[in-house]
Amino acid sequence: MSLLPVRPIPGRETTGPVVRPGCSIEGSGMRNKKRLFGIVLAISSLVLLAASAATAAPTAKKGGTIVVEFTTDVDYTDPQLSYYGETWKLEGATACKLLNWPDKEGAAGAVATPEVAAGLPVISANGKTYTFTIKPGFRFSNNKPVTAKSFVDAFNRFANPKMQSTGVSFLDIVQGAQAVIDGKASTISGVKARGNKLVVNLTKASPDFLARTTMPFMQAIDPTLAGQIDANGINTYASCGPYYFSARTPNRSITLKRNPYYKGGRTANADTIQVNIGNDVAVEFQNVEKGTTDYASGGIPPTEWKNVVSKYGLNKKDGRVQVRPLLDVRYVAMNHARPLFKDNPGLAKAVNWAVDRQAFSAQGGYLYGKRTGQILPPGMLGYKPAGIYPLKVTPNSIATAKKLAGGNLRGGKAVMWASNAGVAPLQAQLIQYNLKQIGIDAEIRLLPRAQQFTNAGNPKTSDYDMTVERWGADYADPYDFINILLDGNQVTNPQHNNYAYFNVAKYNKQMAAASLLTGPKRGTAYAALDGAVMRENPPWAPMVNSNDRTFLSNRVGCITINEATGSGPLLNVICLK
Amino acid sequence: MFQYLVRRTLWAGVLFLGVTLITYVLFFLLPADPARLAAGKSATAEDVARVSHQLGLDRPVYEQYGLFLKHLVIDQSLGRSYANRRSVNEMITEAAPVTIGLVVGGAILWMLIALPIGILSALRPRSLLDRGAMIFVLVGISAPVVWIGLLLQYFVGYKWGLTPNAGYCDVINPPEGQTCGGPWDWFYHMILPWMTFAILFAAIYARMIRANVMDTLGEDYVRTARAKGVPERQVISRHVLRNALLPVVTMLGLDIGIALGGAIFTEAIFNLPGLGRLALNSVLNLDLPTLQGVIVFATLAIIVLNLIVDVLYAYIDPRIRLT
Repeated sequence: MSLLPVRPIPGRETTGPVVRPGCSIEGSGMRNKKRLFGIVLAISSLVLLAASAATAAPTAKKGGTIVVEFTTDVDYTDPQLSYYGETWKLEGATACKLLNWPDKEGAAGAVATPEVAAGLPVISANGKTYTFTIKPGFRFSNNKPVTAKSFVDAFNRFANPKMQSTGVSFLDIVQGAQAVIDGKASTISGVKARGNKLVVNLTKASPDFLARTTMPFMQAIDPTLAGQIDANGINTYASCGPYYFSARTPNRSITLKRNPYYKGGRTANADTIQVNIGNDVAVEFQNVEKGTTDYASGGIPPTEWKNVVSKYGLNKKDGRVQVRPLLDVRYVAMNHARPLFKDNPGLAKAVNWAVDRQAFSAQGGYLYGKRTGQILPPGMLGYKPAGIYPLKVTPNSIATAKKLAGGNLRGGKAVMWASNAGVAPLQAQLIQYNLKQIGIDAEIRLLPRAQQFTNAGNPKTSDYDMTVERWGADYADPYDFINILLDGNQVTNPQHNNYAYFNVAKYNKQMAAASLLTGPKRGTAYAALDGAVMRENPPWAPMVNSNDRTFLSNRVGCITINEATGSGPLLNVICLK
Repeated sequence: MFQYLVRRTLWAGVLFLGVTLITYVLFFLLPADPARLAAGKSATAEDVARVSHQLGLDRPVYEQYGLFLKHLVIDQSLGRSYANRRSVNEMITEAAPVTIGLVVGGAILWMLIALPIGILSALRPRSLLDRGAMIFVLVGISAPVVWIGLLLQYFVGYKWGLTPNAGYCDVINPPEGQTCGGPWDWFYHMILPWMTFAILFAAIYARMIRANVMDTLGEDYVRTARAKGVPERQVISRHVLRNALLPVVTMLGLDIGIALGGAIFTEAIFNLPGLGRLALNSVLNLDLPTLQGVIVFATLAIIVLNLIVDVLYAYIDPRIRLT
């Protein structure tokens, strides 16, 4: 899925979520929690001071309309249904959450901090109960107050089976959520509001729970929306962030207006954020150059990146071209449930030796991304360069690939799925050529993106041997890559993300064990898993960790890019000159 | 005349049944399950089965087709989209005016180009004007619409900034959140789509008009008119053009009808929310009701326009009698 809301700092060994997995869990005991809380507060204050001095916010011009373009419409604008990177960009401006990523660049923006929560939650000694205190003063755009119940409503609406939300797997650790998802209960027993306290009970200690609360699914919702249970989604509703969705015409436009009752302290520079939908990237590029569009969210033609970098420079302060690494990976999943790759690690390794990652990346244009042979992206907790597979094809690498493939070809026929959009068909052809070199005759089947991942995630419709995929972090933690994408326990589910149908008992156990660890041990365990899986029995041929490339109009006066959200310039912060 | 109309209407019904049936059969040959898309990404196998039952997708194709006809004839309903559950009637009602605007405007433009070029070329064959016009015709017929559209978009819309390079504005009642609307904005945004859409047809029509006019100029009655001393202007307007343009009327009716089914390329290039884009998206989303809705609209448009052309023909050409 191309969901890219979360991303860490370039070159930094991240941390993952905020509240470092389990800081208070491992420390056990209130004294440690208080000490930690004090430290976090102190650091946050310093960071805030430094960052506010560094950013252009104080001189930002207020008002006007920022025009943004999306190449295709979003899936939904409904907070409990939307699961597209583009929608999450918008919800970054409309949502208020328990914890959120600050509107800051660099390290200051990479630490999720309490937003509607008055502080970090009190976590029980067994790590299963989180108690948040809700800060007063937050209001929805209809002037109703945000309360603890606003979050309870969000959890319940999210789990409601009539909503058919795609993201409900993120509730797997919340006590009582499964009963609601299964239609056996109407409210989640583990999520309660007690006055201004929100109490969440988990089924197990889950160090990444706080990071999950930064996802838009868990934003506060107002009572009217809580009562609107509709699988088609609600287009416009009152929200409690700096903006709200004021209009949506499917396939044509979305309008965000400033929340007149917002007093949460986040920036809201433009009066209106107008999103126009449907133009091709070439037209988006022309519009940004002309200044009729301020931000081409869908990107620009791959061949233009080199030109705009030469023309306007790269990553200048409030400059027009900004490039940041994303927490994502583009990969070729090899279907281990089908005869070609089932119990056939030799061939999977051969594919990793054969694929031309350089040529694959070149199709995306200048600064497309960084080649990789690993599951975890750089910057993610647990990422450790392993150098297992070549990042550049040479005669020697092809010779090694042929040697590994020898005797493991099993007829040498493969069906490869790829998206029919953008550069994906060209990239698929390159892989097809590489596979031919080691004796695999791959038939390419191009599919609309939505159909590709929907069918790939369903055991009944996944009749491919390989599929060219992309995954972006939902939140900055290795669990969201290793467990979500490779845990074999999910492959029988009718909809999952393990497109390699990778199901090895040994690794399943190691993944489960790693997910319970905190701090450096967590990073070490995931790094070991990443290396071991790719070295011994590769489920994928990882290709590239993409960059987020942003091109802005000359009307734009200030921007802030929060790498942790991975969603380009923050829409609420963009201002006009 | 009445008998003729009844017979034509009955044939139209047969044509309509044939086209919609073929669409149904082709759709069900596709290796994909629309129920999965309609049920949502996280649907269980049971959910998919339930949705499949609700949509009637678990019934045999002929039963589904029968239901479709029943809803269409009795309820005047084209059903609901599998992709977003919106009413297809509503979606067609929104998209049709965009395509009608494009096609009608385009047709006016291509006739404005084709008529003078075709007539003048025929009257002065092998002149510089004729040769120049035929080069235009050759380019217009040979160049793909996509290429012409992209060139116009880049140079006229972007580089020279004479028109918007893409986008659509409603003539009346723009929806909330739209940044433009009204007759002028609509016209301004449609200039390039009209030009793109018209060039191919203008070229075809110019060639056809030229050939027809040249043929007619050689007819006995033209020679007779000239021999009788009828002024040349009258010979051309009353004797030549009136006869030479008869086939053009037929072609025009047919072409407009076909184009109403959706000018897919033009709509895609210029981001016009018309029937062509709707059809394209419905194919990509395996959205049969929407696709069927566009096809029903296009079929009806072709049938009605054909009928109009036939009736009109009888009035234009007294030699033709509808029986």
